[in-house]
Amino acid sequence: MENNDNRLIKIYHGPQHPGITGNMSMELDLLGETIKGARTHVGYLHRGFEKLIERRTIIQAFTIVCRICVPEPDPNEENFARAVEGLAGIEISQRAKYIRVMVLEMARLAAQMLWMGGQSGSIGLGVVGQWSVYDRDLILDLFEELTGGRVYHMYIYPGGVRRELPNGFLEKLAQLLDYLEGRLLAYDSIFFENSTFKKRAIGVGVVNRDEALKNGYVGQVLRGCGIERDVRRDNPYLVYDKLDFEIPTYEGCDVYSRALVRRGEMVESIKILRQVIAQMPSEGAIMQKLPKHRKFKLPKEDIYVATESARGEFGYYMAGDGSEFIRRMQVKGPSLIHGFTLLENLLVDEELSNVALIMNSLGICPPEMER
Amino acid sequence: MPENTQEGFIDQQKVLDNEEYSIKNTQSIIQKAVDWFRARSMFVLAYGTGCGAIEMPPIFTSRYDIERLGVVGVATPRQADILIVSGYCSYKTLKRVIRSYEQMNEPKYVIGLGSCTINGGMYWDSYNTIKKLDEYLPVDMYINGCMPRPEALIEGFVKLQDNIRNAKSEAGYIQYRENNAFYRANQEKIFGKNTTPTFEENFAGMNQ
Amino acid sequence: MIEFLKKHYEIVEKAPRLYKLQIESDKLVEILSSVSINSNFITLSQIACTDWIEDEVFALNYILTTKERDKNLMVEVRISRVHCSLPTLLNLYPQAQVMERDLHEMYGINFRGNDTLYDFALENWNEIPPLRREFDTLAYVNEHFDFRIGREDNKDVKAEVKRRKAQAKESKDGK
Repeated sequence: MENNDNRLIKIYHGPQHPGITGNMSMELDLLGETIKGARTHVGYLHRGFEKLIERRTIIQAFTIVCRICVPEPDPNEENFARAVEGLAGIEISQRAKYIRVMVLEMARLAAQMLWMGGQSGSIGLGVVGQWSVYDRDLILDLFEELTGGRVYHMYIYPGGVRRELPNGFLEKLAQLLDYLEGRLLAYDSIFFENSTFKKRAIGVGVVNRDEALKNGYVGQVLRGCGIERDVRRDNPYLVYDKLDFEIPTYEGCDVYSRALVRRGEMVESIKILRQVIAQMPSEGAIMQKLPKHRKFKLPKEDIYVATESARGEFGYYMAGDGSEFIRRMQVKGPSLIHGFTLLENLLVDEELSNVALIMNSLGICPPEMER
Repeated sequence: MPENTQEGFIDQQKVLDNEEYSIKNTQSIIQKAVDWFRARSMFVLAYGTGCGAIEMPPIFTSRYDIERLGVVGVATPRQADILIVSGYCSYKTLKRVIRSYEQMNEPKYVIGLGSCTINGGMYWDSYNTIKKLDEYLPVDMYINGCMPRPEALIEGFVKLQDNIRNAKSEAGYIQYRENNAFYRANQEKIFGKNTTPTFEENFAGMNQ
Repeated sequence: MIEFLKKHYEIVEKAPRLYKLQIESDKLVEILSSVSINSNFITLSQIACTDWIEDEVFALNYILTTKERDKNLMVEVRISRVHCSLPTLLNLYPQAQVMERDLHEMYGINFRGNDTLYDFALENWNEIPPLRREFDTLAYVNEHFDFRIGREDNKDVKAEVKRRKAQAKESKDGK
């Protein structure tokens, strides 16, 4: 018989694949079930945002900014708003800052819920997704009441936020938080403490801790390695320096640690939201007075802003050129480095069945890699 | 119903002239049954081409639970009846979408999700996304919105079920088969030499 | 640590915890290596490129972040738009590989020493790199696609606005 033991088989994992986190593809070299080489292919979602933004005024650009990251659009809006405010020299009111923090934390909670569905689905735990996507929908209902949009909110605009809170919104939010806090215990028993998940996740996808900081990894990848980094505390924006929260860290460097970090972050988000409800000033303008549409011009300057999204640091570089158009806005999402530098190395010598597991735990989101 | 009177005769005639019971449609009664079954079991290939993919988890899970209408998600094109193109298609994606579509077994239907499949939507001036999906694939149902709510999606599925059950319009896959030259020409216009191979080309490759 | 860098280089503080340094393009690798050894700006977050077509230059901002992730430093180099070429930073930062690949495709900048500059997001792209200012995306779209009837975008709306205003005035005067 012919000896085929050393023959590599090339397969494409994606773009049309239930285990892929979005419209992207991994080119894998397989020896049996073991991966010997992996290359990331993106471009399936390339829309040329950065070109489109060059042709749009600020309010026109604002509507497409949130579409850069679909599961969690609000950090993009916040980045865009803060970059424009930084360039134009606008200071927003205290109340608007609190509302923004509230929106960002709600978005983080919703994104973690959706992640939970994806992560559990990648190892065949279907029930978790049935529950967590439902719970995420309850947050989206509140978003709909607040902003008018379910998924894309278009709420955080340079100068503040676009709408006043509806009557009784904070009470509804407080009720929802109580409900979600109770649900977390249920998720513990079905997911985080589930022996299937533990068996699949512990010791899989181990990130090298020594190179984590140098290579620019962010978010749960760092915190799952026991390195305490969070833009909200290290480089605080809005009112995060006035809020009391902790940064959960775990030492395992593996998929399970990253899952527990996210579990901890959900608790912290609920904590932050409760403080926001208690501290939010009841009076005050939510929107600064802005120049008229065509006269809203940015000076010939550039700026870099960063926001902590549910998956790590989201950075925007923005340059104005004295006209009403933005000269350049470049997006750096957490997935860019994670999806190429980290994932291509992490998959080597893993089993084929772990690809979806690892990709979900890194939170790879292709639209922000290729914009 | 009095049969021997003039009125009774006319009533009987009306029944016979009714399209549902007429003799010329009797051959299609089996077809009707088949269409009815087909409409009640739709296997969906949700190709997450764009933002619309984010509304897929809600409709397939407990809150909107589209499974009660007989709609189930499947993993591969070869098992699927319905292809959901969820959002804008870049060149690179469109090529894969066409390949997935051609792998599906007939009867097959396409749902275009979101404004960007209809006329480009937000990305109407983008150099890398297509503007009209129906130039490249036969679309059976468009659902507009950016992005469409889960209710809109369910409405779209129900409408499509109606269309399948009542055979109101000619299904897209028949158009794709009959007007293949039109679709191929449009595909070649944007892909040039890199268009997906035709059936004959594929077949020729297998024989070698 | 920023004080140490301020001694040697002309660093401007643009915003709280955001600094900027402008350097010549031929000193790029030298200065970035010395920054990464002598200060805690050890990681590269982003390479942002801006096309200043009126000055005939590309401005590339290498955005460095500290080990503590609390400060950002933008190191700006300007290169000519015509023969745009820069040394790669692959040896300093492994994540530069994908960023340079992106910029190579979007602007046509050649990064000397990076041999992985193949297709990133686009497939079979034969036009000028799309993010250069001279690439007109609307003209490209009009050439390659036709819009559905009823979507006549980008029209001059001023005439319509004028007409409606006149109409409103007329109806007001009529009353």
